[in-house]
Amino acid sequence: MKKAVLSLFLIGVLAFAVVASGCVSKEETTPTTSEQPKETTPAKLIWVSTQLNPPEERAFVQEVLLSEFKKETGIDVEFIAISYTDLATRLEAEETTGKVTIDVIGELHGGLDYFNSKGWLMDLSNMPALSGRTFISTFEKYATIGGKKVYVPWMSATYVMVINKKAFDYLPDGLTKDDVMKGTEKWTYDAFLAWAKKLKEATGSPQVGFPAGPKGLFVRFLHGYIYPAYTGYQAKAFDSPEAVTMWNYLKSLWPYVHPASTTWDAMSDPLLKGEVLIAWDHTARIKNAIETRPDDFVVVPVPRGPKGRGFILVVAGLAIPQNAPNPDAAWKLIDYLTKPETQVKVLEKVGFFPTVKEASGALPAGPLKILAEGVAAQSSTPDAVVAMIPNLGAKGGEFKAIYKEAFTRIVLNNEDPATVTKELGPKLKGLFEEVGIEVP
Amino acid sequence: MKIKSEFLPYLLILPAFAYLMFFVGYPLAQALYLAFTQNGAFSLATVRRAISDYYFWTALKYTLGLAAIIVPTQVILALVLALVMNKSFKGRDLSIYALVIPLTISDVAAGLIWYSMLSPYGFLNKLLMNIGILDNPIYFFGYQFRHMEFLAIVLAELWRATAIVFVIILAGLQMISNEYLEAAEVFGATYWIKLRRIVIPLLKPSIQSALIIRTLFAMQVFGIVWILAGRDIPILAGEGFYQLTEIKDYGVASIYALVIAGLSILLGALYIKFMKAEYLEVKR
Repeated sequence: MKKAVLSLFLIGVLAFAVVASGCVSKEETTPTTSEQPKETTPAKLIWVSTQLNPPEERAFVQEVLLSEFKKETGIDVEFIAISYTDLATRLEAEETTGKVTIDVIGELHGGLDYFNSKGWLMDLSNMPALSGRTFISTFEKYATIGGKKVYVPWMSATYVMVINKKAFDYLPDGLTKDDVMKGTEKWTYDAFLAWAKKLKEATGSPQVGFPAGPKGLFVRFLHGYIYPAYTGYQAKAFDSPEAVTMWNYLKSLWPYVHPASTTWDAMSDPLLKGEVLIAWDHTARIKNAIETRPDDFVVVPVPRGPKGRGFILVVAGLAIPQNAPNPDAAWKLIDYLTKPETQVKVLEKVGFFPTVKEASGALPAGPLKILAEGVAAQSSTPDAVVAMIPNLGAKGGEFKAIYKEAFTRIVLNNEDPATVTKELGPKLKGLFEEVGIEVP
Repeated sequence: MKIKSEFLPYLLILPAFAYLMFFVGYPLAQALYLAFTQNGAFSLATVRRAISDYYFWTALKYTLGLAAIIVPTQVILALVLALVMNKSFKGRDLSIYALVIPLTISDVAAGLIWYSMLSPYGFLNKLLMNIGILDNPIYFFGYQFRHMEFLAIVLAELWRATAIVFVIILAGLQMISNEYLEAAEVFGATYWIKLRRIVIPLLKPSIQSALIIRTLFAMQVFGIVWILAGRDIPILAGEGFYQLTEIKDYGVASIYALVIAGLSILLGALYIKFMKAEYLEVKR
């Protein structure tokens, strides 16, 4: 009798396990294209991307870019939007088992750099030349790692300052509109503070805004802009005396920053509503303001600090995995995606900037031109300290959290900057040690 | 087939036992393992990492603080409402339905409703600005307005979760036999004396269960706070979630979960110890 009960129980457990495993292993199985002869057009190219993942952007990729690509070449492409961690896991699995299904990877520089270090990416230098375009040299330089052409620069983005033209009426002594527009020696963080102060005194309320809300990108300002500007590094000099000077500067700036900054995730709305006259944010997140009222706003380089003008350059690239099933068709897709016309479309629709010079020239006068000019002015300042977002993989969240915590405690809770940075510094450097990359 | 009667009780509780072992016992063991071991050996490193975090103590403080404000307010509010609703008047049923509606709404949905009402250009601010009372919106959200965020959370929680306390207390009220109240009236007791000497003591079992349920829920409060304040007002469940999803530190996340479990057990035990239910029949 007991046996019967036991076996019933076991059957139940077994049934549950079967159901559960069915739920868990829901990984998309794609038809293996590797069995087909290589030269013919494949049934379907698999393009896996960590970029253009929001539903709206995904629809744009599928309905505009890929349908047009199909018309031109007759090749079907399956676009798979994926997170960085999922991509890394999938690529590792495919490369180690030798059953590669991914044809093209769209990822940020940092991720591709890491994949390359693992030997998962193909050397693209032997591929046919891409005609009719000149890649911007900075991007080309980053894409070649150790003499190997790892990826083709695809899209770029950065963070800039947007200024409502009204703010120019309140410029502090010694700073001209031209200084700000071109990013000269005089356009410093101290001049910015004087301007913010004057704006508040003249208008009665703070006129500077940052996206310091829960989903805002203010943390990029901290590690990629003001830290390099004051210390020369993003993280290496996290708890240096220069960093303490920087935090004290931010403390003195904060009274002139709109208090609702800690609620804002994107600066487009506050600019349009006139809540602030000066704002800093990601290009994609201020695009709407400039498109809505192109005559009211200008995009300018960020101010400089004692060590130069720190700013972040985000580059996404297209790469082909080692042993990918259809490298020739994949190259055609890369060719199509980096054509100046396609790049302009991407800029217009999603606000990512072209990586080829011809595309910037093809822009019609108007809001996007304002944006593109601001970005170009920032990139070409002579005192630039370019920062790339470090690729910490799963530790990226912790990296951001440390800067955010330092900001909250020092600037908002008025704790001592030296103590807080001394406390958090080892934690930050520990992250880089754990992942095994150099502290930037 | 005959089953020996001595095995029967065990067999009957087996499904429930298996269920609890699988869905409570196993995760609990896993959490303890994650929290107290490192490389397979016992270690307090994770605990140290958790409690040296600035957010740990802040989260504990805010979780207990929110509970200390919300739970008593809810009980008093629910008691008053239940006393009103226990009388018969026109439209009583409709009022009860209206009061209970928030109970059917999930905490995240409730958070979103309140967020859209209180946001800078939400319903409330728009209304006040259109009438001309305000020039600039009142900010309820953002780190620099934490006291307002706190207020918004308290308001939303009161609106959403008072109903459950209300239902429990109303049920308790309706169980009180009219004989006691009539007897008291014979001796000339006023409304207040009846309330203090008869109704409240008889309600103690209901109040106790309402308090236990509400306090346990207050320890694990998450959705509303996460929607309305994010990490501006850290709370235990929110920090656990954050450690798990953003930081990917499973050990520290387990410690948050264990702290919530520990607090719940402790507070539940305290309620049971200090709020012994009283019954008129046995009281001397």
